[in-house]
Amino acid sequence: MDEAKSTFEFLGLTFNTANIISGLIVFAILIGLVFFLSRSITLRPGKKQNILEWLVDFTNGLVKVSIPGKESKGYGLWAFTLFCFIFIANMLGLFAHIEVNGITYVKSPTADPVIPMTFALITLVLAQYSGIKRMGYKEHFKGYLKPVPFFLPINIFEELTNFLTLGIRLFGNIFAGEMLAGLIANMAFSGGVLTFIVAAPIEMFWQGFSIFIGSIQAYVFVTLSSVYVSQKIYEEE
Amino acid sequence: MFTHLIVGSAQGFNVGDAVFFALCFLILMAIIGKIAWDPITKMLEERANKISNDIDSAEDSRNKAEKLAKERQDALNNSHAEASEIVSKATQDGKERRENIISDAKSDASLLKENAQKDIEQERKDALASTKNDVADLSIEIASKIIKKELSAEDQKTLIDSYIKGLGD
Repeated sequence: MDEAKSTFEFLGLTFNTANIISGLIVFAILIGLVFFLSRSITLRPGKKQNILEWLVDFTNGLVKVSIPGKESKGYGLWAFTLFCFIFIANMLGLFAHIEVNGITYVKSPTADPVIPMTFALITLVLAQYSGIKRMGYKEHFKGYLKPVPFFLPINIFEELTNFLTLGIRLFGNIFAGEMLAGLIANMAFSGGVLTFIVAAPIEMFWQGFSIFIGSIQAYVFVTLSSVYVSQKIYEEE
Repeated sequence: MFTHLIVGSAQGFNVGDAVFFALCFLILMAIIGKIAWDPITKMLEERANKISNDIDSAEDSRNKAEKLAKERQDALNNSHAEASEIVSKATQDGKERRENIISDAKSDASLLKENAQKDIEQERKDALASTKNDVADLSIEIASKIIKKELSAEDQKTLIDSYIKGLGD
């Protein structure tokens, strides 16, 4: 699966074309969906509004589980966007995997380690920021010396592992899903009609399972992110 | 095959992608916040307020209704008590009045009886007195008749004289 990649340079940075295109597609789908659902918001909800409200309630619930206090209010939008983005990104590769001349142009952005790591980094930064905002610089960084000062390297290492596992878990699941889906697809087209008949149900089954995995991973990512944030907020307790 | 897994390898990790997705995420957050999140949270808040207000006002009305019902029940109970009080008072009054009337009648009757007895006594005394006078007159008359018949002129003259003499005394 050592896929060829199309990259381009812009402002001295290297961009992966597939990631950029997929990212833009996810962006467009999400904006379109939310825009479509959020028309005519009224006190008595309509069908579209019900869907949106359910989604908002769901992500708010994820945040509230780990951040029970008043602080959870400020993280609702972040959790909502994060969940929707990761969910749609996870799904994208299952329905649209476009390769031209062996170069992939559309896939799940989350199947590339860069993107989950970016989201994990956003979570890390947000957690640090929230901790500093709530406790002040001094108290926040004192938290690294607890319970005893020589825990400092362990605490820093914990932050790093949190960040790494958060990103790699998502990447690994989606990447594995895409890779197996690709392998089954290759098998389907390798030996004519017979392999196609055998592989099609397997592919369908695997795609269904990947939808499940993609949803679970989006859920897990948001839940863990809010847990990490809450750890920084409620460090004293 | 596993170059994907080497996080940070020159080939796999494009800083540009990271920047792009971070920006994408921030812009998405801003747009979603503007078009969906703010209106929806505002609306949810409004709804929550409305529901809590409705619940409060329902509670209020219920309390009011209960209070009213209690007042009415109290009034009803009171009216029962009042009615029985009125009846018992009326009975009491009636009893008292009856006794008063009877005792008044009794005293009146005894007064009348007394008066009547007095009157009768008086009458009797008067009658007795007048009878005495009558008897005296009658006896005098009879006596005078008897005397007149047997008296001679001479005797009559002396008798008259004696009368006159008597008158003169």
